[in-house]
Amino acid sequence: MRRCRPLLGTYVEVTADSAEAIDAAFAAVARIHRLMSAHDPESEVGRINRFGHLEPVEVSDETRDVLMQCLHWWRVSGGRFDVVRAGAEAFERGRIPRFVGQVGPATADSSLLCLSGNVVRLAVPACLDFGGIAKGFAVDQAVAAMRRAGAQRGLVNAGGDLSGFGPESWPVAIVDPATRLPAVKVELSNEALATSAIHQDGTAPHLPSRSRWVSVTVRAPNACDADALTKIVWMEAAAASKLLAGAGAAAFGIDASGQVEAIDKQALAA
Amino acid sequence: MSRSGANWFTILPAAVAVVAPGPAAATAYLTIPAAQQALFPGARFVEHPLTLSDFQRKAIARAAGAAGYDKVQRVWEVRSGNSRAGWFIVDRVIGKHDFITYALALGADGTVRGVEILDYRETYGGEIRNPNWRRQFVGKTPGSTLRLDGDIKNISGATLSSRHVTDGVRRLLVTYRMLLANA
Repeated sequence: MRRCRPLLGTYVEVTADSAEAIDAAFAAVARIHRLMSAHDPESEVGRINRFGHLEPVEVSDETRDVLMQCLHWWRVSGGRFDVVRAGAEAFERGRIPRFVGQVGPATADSSLLCLSGNVVRLAVPACLDFGGIAKGFAVDQAVAAMRRAGAQRGLVNAGGDLSGFGPESWPVAIVDPATRLPAVKVELSNEALATSAIHQDGTAPHLPSRSRWVSVTVRAPNACDADALTKIVWMEAAAASKLLAGAGAAAFGIDASGQVEAIDKQALAA
Repeated sequence: MSRSGANWFTILPAAVAVVAPGPAAATAYLTIPAAQQALFPGARFVEHPLTLSDFQRKAIARAAGAAGYDKVQRVWEVRSGNSRAGWFIVDRVIGKHDFITYALALGADGTVRGVEILDYRETYGGEIRNPNWRRQFVGKTPGSTLRLDGDIKNISGATLSSRHVTDGVRRLLVTYRMLLANA
């Protein structure tokens, strides 16, 4: 059976054999939504964005884990993956609301973000945007919850960030964003897939920069890594190939003419 | 762990797509009775269709900042034992590319208990009106719908926003406050 709920700003689809497994998956995604929505002033991310520069903000283990992932990808990507810069841009474009009394973010990067244990501090006012990683993290949490509920097989798709497990692989079609038609097929087997793509009007306000691609897909052991890596590949495939290999991941891009190209060492050497 | 080269994905031939106006990709998730049982297990449902006057629809749209499509809102009172357990409302939202039927479950005090997508249809109407986009399908059979390769039900790669459903839920909460809260 398959169900779908609006969460994390997109449609989250869960496929499993039992209602209990599906409920467990949605409960896990809903928890991440509550903790990390930048649109909710009372979420943990909302509180970091409002008070992080004034006082230490204590967060849940999940938010701490995402922050650790954010800092990891920020470091190893040479600053390309940056939730602080992404947040400043999202704030400026009005994609993240300004809450009453909130100070606008100072121009800064993730170096101002200090995490010790479960306590977050910001050196200056800033705005975190987990848009590039929270969906993937939520998908991983949902899969873990389904396994704990005893599910033998399952698939979670949060707006294009997917993870599937079970004895049989899950076929996934990746659409070309220019035509919205299926362009590539992947068989997903106990692993994750994430795609970042332009909107249909050709803009990509949710993505960090211009790219030679209109769509980038990363296959990785977990959805959190896959999600973060799509953003890094989007910015610079050459710099990403080592990170892909390190994460046991692989990627392909679709360009504006609809051409599909593998992004890894072999492809770059050829 | 890493698979080298391009052998982990398959490039689909463009010919798999035959496109015509109307619903393209469609997924039915839950029937209304199945959604009712998922959101209020074991409860009874008494249907009270809510016929909205033009004046009411305008007032709701103004207060919610989003207009609805239906003149009759499908509403069920949820009964548990001798008391009201809440409300179950079915609504539709239509975006540029999607047509979505969803259900909203409210507790007896009007708090949101859950939102379930019942049916999701992606339409290609926008592209159909665009001659440049249409040209690539010249010669394909009109009137047929798009078929995915092997009928793959899992899709990635389109940036989907659930904003229309979020707007719809806000409108239904206004409808509840205006017409159901004191019913």
